[in-house]
Amino acid sequence: MQNSMVESDRTGSKVLVEMIRATASAVEANRDTINALNVFPVPDGDTGTNMMLTLRSVVDDLGDDSSGTIGDIAKKMARSALLGARGNSGLILAQFFKGLSESLGTSDGEPLLRGTSFARSLRIAATNSYKAMPNPVEGTMLTVYRECADVAEASAAQNGSFENVLAAVAASSLETVRRTPQLLPVLAEAEVVDSGGFGFAVMLDGALRSLHGNEPAGRVVEVPMPGGTKFSGTVKADFVDASEEIDWGYCTVFAIQSESIDLDKLRAHMDQLGRSPIVDGTDGIAKVHVHMEDPGKALSAGLGYGLISNIEIVNMDEQTAGWAAARRNSAGRRRVPTLAAPKIAVVAVAAGDGLTDLIISAGLGATSVVEGGDTMNPSVADLLAAVNAAPSNKVILLPNNKNVVAAAQQVPDLTGKDVRVVPTRSVQTGVAALLAFSMDLSLDENAEAMNDVAGEVGEGRVCRASRDVTIYGREIKAGMAFATFDDVIVTVGRDPLFVLVKLIEECSDGAEIVTVYTGESLSPEQVKTTTETLEDKFADIEIEIVWGGQPHYDYLIAVE
Amino acid sequence: MSIAVVTDSTSDLPADLVEKHGISVIPLNVHIEDETFLDGVTISSDEMYRRLPDAKVIPTTSAPSVGAFVELYEKLAKTHDEIISVHISSKLSLTHNSAVNAVAEMSSTTTPIAVVDTQQASMALGWTAVRVAEAISDGASLDDSVALAKKLSERAVFIGMVDTLKYLVRGGRIGKAQGFVGSLLRVKPILTIREGEAHPLERARNRSKGIARIKSLVAEYAPLEKLAVLYTTDEDDASEIANDIAEFDPDGSPAVAQLGPVVGNYLGPGMLGLGLIRAEPS
Repeated sequence: MQNSMVESDRTGSKVLVEMIRATASAVEANRDTINALNVFPVPDGDTGTNMMLTLRSVVDDLGDDSSGTIGDIAKKMARSALLGARGNSGLILAQFFKGLSESLGTSDGEPLLRGTSFARSLRIAATNSYKAMPNPVEGTMLTVYRECADVAEASAAQNGSFENVLAAVAASSLETVRRTPQLLPVLAEAEVVDSGGFGFAVMLDGALRSLHGNEPAGRVVEVPMPGGTKFSGTVKADFVDASEEIDWGYCTVFAIQSESIDLDKLRAHMDQLGRSPIVDGTDGIAKVHVHMEDPGKALSAGLGYGLISNIEIVNMDEQTAGWAAARRNSAGRRRVPTLAAPKIAVVAVAAGDGLTDLIISAGLGATSVVEGGDTMNPSVADLLAAVNAAPSNKVILLPNNKNVVAAAQQVPDLTGKDVRVVPTRSVQTGVAALLAFSMDLSLDENAEAMNDVAGEVGEGRVCRASRDVTIYGREIKAGMAFATFDDVIVTVGRDPLFVLVKLIEECSDGAEIVTVYTGESLSPEQVKTTTETLEDKFADIEIEIVWGGQPHYDYLIAVE
Repeated sequence: MSIAVVTDSTSDLPADLVEKHGISVIPLNVHIEDETFLDGVTISSDEMYRRLPDAKVIPTTSAPSVGAFVELYEKLAKTHDEIISVHISSKLSLTHNSAVNAVAEMSSTTTPIAVVDTQQASMALGWTAVRVAEAISDGASLDDSVALAKKLSERAVFIGMVDTLKYLVRGGRIGKAQGFVGSLLRVKPILTIREGEAHPLERARNRSKGIARIKSLVAEYAPLEKLAVLYTTDEDDASEIANDIAEFDPDGSPAVAQLGPVVGNYLGPGMLGLGLIRAEPS
C-alpha cells in the first residue's frame, strides 16, 4: 500500500543513522549558544560541548555502517552514548539512546521506526532519566523528555506516522524549553532557558530536517525565550583563559647598542607601539622585550636609539593556539601510579598541573589522575579506562566535579573490578578526601572515611564571569570577579583577590584550616601578593596557599 | 631466684620508673659531628633537639657494643641468678643483635640470659620492661617472663605524629611509611610500629586535628594496662593531652615521657604521640 511503501523508505536503518548524524551536526551548529545558556558564567564543563562530544562518539562508532536492523543499530548507539557520555547532559542524552534501544529491541526485528515505538522510547528515556539523576530537577532536560513523551504518545495514538510524531515532538520541545524558567527560578533570574533542554530540542530539529531531506540538516536554531524576548548571550569561552597579560601577536626581543640610551624614553616609546614592554640596560646596551602585532615597528623605532642586534621574534598566536588545542583535547589523559600492586588504587579527576601533582603526592603511590578537561568533562569511557588500567582490582573513584559525578556512577557496573565512587563535587574536596585514604582500611571502610571527610569540607571558588549575568539577585558583568561557596554566590567584585578575602571572611567561621589553591591565570607576582595579603588579614586562621594551576578559577578554597 | 631486667635507652623510660622497678638501661650511642655521646647519659634530649635542625652533618646513632653488653651482663650476674634483656626492634637497631652476640661471648657463664626482640620502640618497649619487672616481683620465672615479654609485644602500641618525615627518611628508618613522603600539602603524618618497623597510620590535615586524633585513638585502643604520652620538644602539649585522656589510664594519671635522643633523632622536634599497652582481651 502506498503509505507503508513511503514509510519503508523513510524510517529504516539507513534513515535512522542519517537522522542521528543530523542530531550531531545540529548540536555542533548550535554549540556556542547551548554553552552560553549555562547559568553560571564559567565555561567549566559546558553543556553544548559535552552534548556535541557525546553525539560525536555515537556517530564515530557507527561509522559508515548502517547494516543490521534498527534494533541492532539502536543497541550499538546506546552503548556508544553511555561510554562517550560527558557531564550530566551527556548522561541524560545517553538515556535517550537507551530508550531507543529498549523500545526498538522489543519490536521483534521490526525494520521500521514507528510513531508508537518512538513514543515508547521517549517514555522509557524520561522514566529512566528521573531515576538515574541523584537530584532530579524540573525545568531541565528531564522535563523536556517527559513532555516530549506525553506529546509523542498522544500523537502516536492518533495513528500518527513516525514523521508526524517526530514533527509534533520537535515543535513541542521548543515550547517546553521556553517554559523552563517558570519551573526553575534560577533560569528566570539569569534570563536563560535550560541549556540541555535546548540542546535536545536542537537535536530533534536536526533529525526532522534530515527526515525531510532539508539541507543542511544542522542549522542554527533560535533560542525559545519566554515572552518573546531574544537571547543575546555571547559566549566568551576564551575570556576566562586570558590572564592580565593577553598573549597574542609577536613576542619581540632585541638589543640596542649605543653609548647612552635614555631607558625611560625608550620604554615609553615601546609602550606606545606595543604591550607589556620590558626595557632594561647597562653601559652601552639595552634589552627590549615587547608584544607587538607588527614587530617591524618596534625594530624600526629601536634603530632610532642605536644599533640593533640579537633579534628574536616568536609568533604567540601559534603558541597559544597550539596550547589551547592541546588543552581542549586534554580531557581523559592520565597520569599513572608508581606502585605496581597496591591493595587498593585510586582514580581521581583533576584539571591543573599543581592539583594533579598534589593528588599524586597525596595518593600513596596508588593514584592515577584523569585530566578533567577544560570546557568539557571526561567521558564515562575515559573514567572506565582509567579504572580498568588501575593497578588493583579494588578501586576508589573520585570525580572531583559535580558534572562528573553521574558519569562516575556508571563505571562500577561497566567493569569487573570492585569500584566505589566517593561523589566529590570539586577537586579541593577530592584532595581533602584523599588524605583519609589508607591501605590499612578495606575498600568499603575507605569509601566511608573519604565520604565523611568530603561531607565536612566547604568548597569555595573565585573566578571572572565570562559574560553578563544576573543570578541570585546579583548583577555580574563580564570580567567581574565573583565567589561561590558550596555553589551559592557569596560576593562579587572587581578584583579576584579582594573577592577571595571577602569569601574567606564570610565562610571560615569555626574553620580549623583553609586551603587556597591558586589558578593558572595568576602570575608569580599575583601569587606572592595573595600570600602576603592573606597572611596579613587572617593571622589567626591557619591558611595554606598552594599552587593548583587550575583553569578558569583564580582561586579554589577548601574550608575544614 | 632473682631475675635482672635489662632494656636499652630507646625505651625512653622516665627516671622514676627505672628506679622504681630496678631496671638496668644500657645506653645507645649518639654521634653528632665529631662527638660521640651516650644516650641519656652524656647528652640530654633537650640538647639533642636543640642541635638537630642545624646540624651540618646528619647525626647518627649506633647500638651498644658487644663489649658494653658483656660488661653489663657480667656485673648483673654477680647479684642476680638470671637475666632477661628486652630490646628495640631489630629492624630499627642492631642493639638486639649486639645483645645476642654478647650472650654467645659469655658461653662460659652459668647465668641464664634471655634476650627478646620486642619489635617495638620507645615506651611501647619501656612499658614491656616495666610489666616484666612487675611480673618478676610477683614471682614470675625466667620462662614466664620471656613468654610475657613476647605476648606484650603484640599488645604494645607506639603512635607518633611528626612534623616532618625528613628525619626518618634520612635516617633510613622510613620503613612502610614511604607512601606518606613527598606530600605537597602540609599534613601531619601519624605513624605506628608494625612488624618491627615504621608503618603509616593516618594523615592529619593540621597539628590541632592531629592532636584530636591522638586523643580519639586512645579511646579506640582502650581498655589499657599502661599509657604514656610522648613528646620530643612540646612538653606543654603533651601534658594537656595527658589531662584529656586521663580516664583511660588504669591509675588515672598517664605518664608523660620525653623521647630520648636516639628515637628523637628519627622523629624530630614537634613530635607528639603515645606509648601504651592494651589490656588483655577477656
